[in-house]
Amino acid sequence: MKSIKDEFLEILSNYQGILHKVSFVYFKNKPDREDNFQEIIYQLWKSFPNLKNHKSIGSWIYAVSINTSISRIKKVARIEYRETIPELPDKSNVIDEISMNESLQLLLDAIYNLDEVDKSIMLLYLEKKSYDEIAEIIGISKSNVGVRINRAKELLKQNIKR
Amino acid sequence: MENNELQKIWKTFDTEINQKTIDELNLLLTSKTKQTINKFLVILSISILISVGLLIFLAITSLNRQNDLIYLINNATLGIVTIISLLSGLMSWYKIQNNKYNQPLKNWLELRINLLSKWLTGKFSKLYLFLIPLLYVLTVLSIHVYFENKSFIDVLNTEESIIGLIVGAPVGLFVSYFGARKIRKYQLNNLEFLKDLHGRLCNVR
Repeated sequence: MKSIKDEFLEILSNYQGILHKVSFVYFKNKPDREDNFQEIIYQLWKSFPNLKNHKSIGSWIYAVSINTSISRIKKVARIEYRETIPELPDKSNVIDEISMNESLQLLLDAIYNLDEVDKSIMLLYLEKKSYDEIAEIIGISKSNVGVRINRAKELLKQNIKR
Repeated sequence: MENNELQKIWKTFDTEINQKTIDELNLLLTSKTKQTINKFLVILSISILISVGLLIFLAITSLNRQNDLIYLINNATLGIVTIISLLSGLMSWYKIQNNKYNQPLKNWLELRINLLSKWLTGKFSKLYLFLIPLLYVLTVLSIHVYFENKSFIDVLNTEESIIGLIVGAPVGLFVSYFGARKIRKYQLNNLEFLKDLHGRLCNVR
């Protein structure tokens, strides 16, 4: 018989792509992404007993991942500011170790320039989530989702063209 | 660039991700859990050790100075303030740490904003301005009076003690306020950031 932890790890293993993508969207540097990835795992584990309150596993993972990442942004920004005051962030470190195709790299760079709310909405849109699912994860109305997606898409296209 | 073209590009992300094995995920979870528990234990142990140490000192010195009523009042006040500060401090810290991430972004932001607002701008948010000097002066007096081997009133009538208190208090208070202000400033920045995000989420322009 599977233990609760085994069950959790199996779900996590199947859905870990979400954690990677959310971390990529919110954090440019690899160490920050790895810390965030680990923090999301921990927060998912903590809220695992409440999983039954969610309609789908996916939306639960997206909600916890996005909320965790946003709560960490300020912390990481503070540490970065303290450690690297004289230097500008190294662009070559943005997408490290993974040799991404140029279009994906361009798209990710454009997403980095969106604000935190638009980042999460755009991520869910790119993941082909329905308006209902996005509304559930973000907590806004379906019509609001539509308006925000259109606006974020325009911003994204402008960022890509630059 | 067409809309579905963006989604098509994004889809290529799946092939770029280095999937972690179940063992690796388990290791990450275990180490993070240990780290969090250790951090909690360190903070808890330090707070309890300092407070309990102070309470033991207050109890022993009070027993040795049973005839000095003012000294006993000083120690009793300090003991009560210490216990209340320890409990409320640990409770606030637990609430702040115990984030409920398992909900929609907007609800999570509202919960977090309410919690931080209560803590930083609520009824008791400025209590530290009163508590820090009170705790500091009472502690200094308790220690000083005890080791001077004089009664509370006699010590307060000594010129050196008064000069020591006048000179020493501002230094100690400055250090305490500096620490408290730094934490408060960081949390206020955090609150503003969350309010800004919430505002952007609610306003559709």
